[in-house]
Amino acid sequence: MTTSEDFERWGGAAAWASGEELTPMQTLMWRAERHPVQSSTSTVVIDLDRAPDWKRFVAATEWGTGLVRRLRQRVVEPVVPTAAPRWADDPTFDLGYHLRREHVASREEMLAQAAQIALRPFDRTRPLWEGVLFEGLAGEGGAGAAYVLKIHHALADPLGTVQLLSMLQSGRRAHTARKPVGAEVGAPAVVDPVDLAVSGLRAGSANLAASALSTARTLVSTRPSTAVAATLRYGASVRRLVSQAAPPSPELSPRTGRMWSFLTLEAPLDRLRAVAKQGGGTLDDAAVALVLGGLRRYHERRGGPVPEIPVGVRVSLDRADDLGNRFAGAIISGPLAIEDPVDRVAAVRGEVLSLHTERALEVLEAAAPLLNRMPAFVGAGALQTAAVPDAFVLTLPGPPRRRYMAGAEVQGMYVLGPLPGAALTVCLVTVGDTACIGVNVDASAVADLRELEECLAEGVEEMASAP
Amino acid sequence: MPGDQAVSGLSDEVLAAIDAIEAGPQGPAVGAFFDLDGTLVAGYTAATFYGDRLKGRDVSPAEFLRTVVTAVDGELGGDPTRIAHVAFSAMRGESEEAFADLGERLFRSKIAGTIRRESRALVMAHQRVGHTVAVASAATKYQIAPVARDLGVEHLVCTQLVVEDGQFTGATDGPMLWGRHKASGVRAFAREHGIDLSTSYAYGNGYEDVAFLSSVGHPTALNPHRDLRSAAARLGWPVLDLSDPVGGSLLAAGRTAAALAGMNTGVVAGLSYGLLSGNLKEGRNAAIKLATSLPMALAGVKVDVLHRERLWTHRPAIFVANHQSALDIPVLGNLLERDFTIVAKKEAKWDPRAMVGSVVIDPAYIDRSDSASARATLDGVVDRIRGGTSLMIFPEGTRSATPVLGPFRKGAFHLAAQAGVPVVPVVLRNSGELMRRSSLVLNPGTVDVCVLEPETDWNEDDLSDRIAALHTKFEETLARWPST
Repeated sequence: MTTSEDFERWGGAAAWASGEELTPMQTLMWRAERHPVQSSTSTVVIDLDRAPDWKRFVAATEWGTGLVRRLRQRVVEPVVPTAAPRWADDPTFDLGYHLRREHVASREEMLAQAAQIALRPFDRTRPLWEGVLFEGLAGEGGAGAAYVLKIHHALADPLGTVQLLSMLQSGRRAHTARKPVGAEVGAPAVVDPVDLAVSGLRAGSANLAASALSTARTLVSTRPSTAVAATLRYGASVRRLVSQAAPPSPELSPRTGRMWSFLTLEAPLDRLRAVAKQGGGTLDDAAVALVLGGLRRYHERRGGPVPEIPVGVRVSLDRADDLGNRFAGAIISGPLAIEDPVDRVAAVRGEVLSLHTERALEVLEAAAPLLNRMPAFVGAGALQTAAVPDAFVLTLPGPPRRRYMAGAEVQGMYVLGPLPGAALTVCLVTVGDTACIGVNVDASAVADLRELEECLAEGVEEMASAP
Repeated sequence: MPGDQAVSGLSDEVLAAIDAIEAGPQGPAVGAFFDLDGTLVAGYTAATFYGDRLKGRDVSPAEFLRTVVTAVDGELGGDPTRIAHVAFSAMRGESEEAFADLGERLFRSKIAGTIRRESRALVMAHQRVGHTVAVASAATKYQIAPVARDLGVEHLVCTQLVVEDGQFTGATDGPMLWGRHKASGVRAFAREHGIDLSTSYAYGNGYEDVAFLSSVGHPTALNPHRDLRSAAARLGWPVLDLSDPVGGSLLAAGRTAAALAGMNTGVVAGLSYGLLSGNLKEGRNAAIKLATSLPMALAGVKVDVLHRERLWTHRPAIFVANHQSALDIPVLGNLLERDFTIVAKKEAKWDPRAMVGSVVIDPAYIDRSDSASARATLDGVVDRIRGGTSLMIFPEGTRSATPVLGPFRKGAFHLAAQAGVPVVPVVLRNSGELMRRSSLVLNPGTVDVCVLEPETDWNEDDLSDRIAALHTKFEETLARWPST
């Protein structure tokens, strides 16, 4: 790892997320947020091989927030929601408010505290992140540490968070003296909520008139029967997407969404990829199959086997095998009765690809601009109408090699996502040759947390030892 | 080669797909899975069955209403498999045997004619390279089995109905093989039969077929439903659009029926002429001409012959041809026109399709199980040849399942040596594509015929070498069809 590679990556970080307005989807999530039940907060837990020097750590964070302006910006809402909220520099930014350190005795204690940090709501008038360095973990040498970063979805989605962290970390343990800094900005941009609302209203009414006109034109030029048929097909697709997944499992209820419990697991990435390949699927499919393998065991031991459960997955709207830029969330029926891991991967693959026949897959994305003009509770209602899965499973690409934070080696990077109605949210991050699996569990929905953790660990083992 | 398309009636896309199949891995570890409705056949076989139920007034108004409501709901995003379960439960108490018979009857009268010709060509391509071919469908075996048999497909992966004491209980054994269940059915079949899915092929048309198609390494969306078409574009899967049977199913079935009727009419007319004129031999010749040219004209089969004159320069002779189709006999009969007969195995005497012809051309039947009687029959044949009757013979013995040329048996050439007559080699191409072995369906098109240089002076000394040389000439002609 050379310093020049680091510089290139840091240059990328400086250019990261520079738009002034929140995108329609971010706006929807910002306005619909009801923390923690309908939360948009993700938490990243980074295992470090040693406690970094605190001064150096603070200085590095200071540098990072200077490089990535977004980390010093807050969201400004118009007084009435006629325009999208905007990012503006926070004139009162104080690193001390966002970053602190604490002492814990064990990794379990750290994870429990991380869940409590995640459950506390953000101050929505400040930059939307909070970092805590935990020292004193009983690591291999007894000197291990962990950095917990809580970040709002409007600032970065889980994928963006992992990318950002990968970009900011260093390729070397030693200090890099003359690091690039962000472009000098002038006076903090002051955005007035009333001006924002007025200009939004002006632009919005012009846009709405234009879009109404073009809609009318389209309707006039289309035969009514064609329009009716297309609408019916679209409606049928929406109905399939929200209703046809499996019924929720009775073993994973009742969910309150107010008791978060964090678990972490790790798996050898090459084995996961090998099983995925055998089943004709991707790493995402293997991650879903792994979680289902663990949940299958849990259901069997609890004496309530079910054939399938609804699982929330992310589908690329571009090409199935590419990462692409546009994603939609959708629910599949996750096969819970298949014992063979390879066959389970193939079944998951089939379910995920089948979503591509649904013309309504883009419905949430398409609906976002319209919903944003409604008061917040309407948007929240729209998000709730979609059926809620038992588990969300997400795969995120992390750094290809081990990286360093202020001289401490990153040994694992776990993303603990929010629980928007699900009993589990599972994020698999690829870090070097390891799959770091972070699981957020709704503790009110799971009768035996230890049993679940064991079952998930066996699910990992089953994948790792598949022939 | 140019002209292939016109001759074979297959589109360039299908020909390219067939080339790719033939260039890929071969053998039974490669699977080829075909959906039934909308893929192998145009339209829905279930609709044919239901139409028959309606006609027979087996359906109460309540059942009809429930069916329609369920079908509409399935279209509007409800559970699309419920319609089938409604149909299955309405079958409770019906006899399985009667239903299987109905399947056979509907196949002959309606469904056979809806088999897509290009789908058949794809099935045959997979069979040629030895793949394990299966029909994978949510339909029941009563709908599928006759189609599979016609295509020479042995394996079915399909929805099973529970039968007790010969009657349907109205329930299914296991899930209906629709959507994800079809996919898992195919994966289970692959495990049982040692099939490597990553090199296997699947063909389907419905939006519910994505999971099924994604189970294999080579999926193809065939005449896809609107939503499958967009999914295929997104997933980068090839799309093949096949032409439906010309003028719809009824016409194709009608052609086949007309061809059979035409053959009988020709025989009867010809024999009547012979009886009336008092000349049985001329009557036979007239019957051959009518019996062979009428059906081919009715079915839209044309014959394109290279070197037709060679059929007449060396009579009497032994005409040897390669054999792929039941169509070969009327085609050759049509070419030879008069004064010939065939040698057939004894069992063929009772084959209804051959019986009509056998009355006319008085074949020499050989009992293969009894070599003494076989030799005696052949001695009689030598006398008939010397008396001026030519002999038509397929030296491969049986029809080949594929256009690949089988080894030649020596019998025909021994006869040429014994009778002292020349051998006229006739190479046939495409007849297997127009009417497949053991198929009931005759497709319109053109059969290519090339008559090779007649070979004279056969004797026992160098028989094997000359047969081998002739076999090579057949292969070369099939591989590089001469232009003149």
